[in-house]
Amino acid sequence: MEAILTAVLYGSLLLHIGMIAVTMWRVWRGENVIDRLIGADLLSTFTLAILVLIALISQQSIYIDVALGLVALGFVGTIALSKYLADEQMF
Amino acid sequence: MTTFLQIVAIVAVIAGTFFSLVGVVGYVRLPDVYTRLHATGKVGVFGGVLLLAAAVSGTSLSIGKGLVLIALLLIIGPVTSHAIASAAYRVGIPMVGQRNDLQRDGALAGQRLAGEQGQVQDG
Repeated sequence: MEAILTAVLYGSLLLHIGMIAVTMWRVWRGENVIDRLIGADLLSTFTLAILVLIALISQQSIYIDVALGLVALGFVGTIALSKYLADEQMF
Repeated sequence: MTTFLQIVAIVAVIAGTFFSLVGVVGYVRLPDVYTRLHATGKVGVFGGVLLLAAAVSGTSLSIGKGLVLIALLLIIGPVTSHAIASAAYRVGIPMVGQRNDLQRDGALAGQRLAGEQGQVQDG
């Protein structure tokens, strides 16, 4: 059972890295600024996913703390950027 | 007991990765900004939460932090999608498709860009 879990984890990690590459390509080719903002938000979500996968692979819970910090602070950037795009000023 | 938890972890990781895959395919393939937002919202909520469920059942140390993170993700996903969607509509990005409820109700008119191009499709 242990071997299956690690195999699934490594496969999922590989898939996530491929998905990050696709997202980066899509952000590079993005039609308008909102697409790039969505891509940036998606990339932060994928880093969270990879952190959780590494936490599972290495069986250490320190990575969950890193993911907690990333999520709690990362989404503020997206909201500030979307407000900046909407109203031309952030506050 | 641990093998059962590991089975749960395996199933959760596979499901989480599947939803992330669906989200990315949606992000690349869908026609306009709003439908793409619909797709990427899934990645953050389903992908992350299922992976965290696997992490909570896999590494038995981080149950509290994992549940806090799951609750946080469930709140943050819709909030960011809504913020980006309203920013997109304010900038005046046209909607591909038949229905434009926001414009028909006149609640939030996309002024700037739409004003210049003047081609926000009607409902």
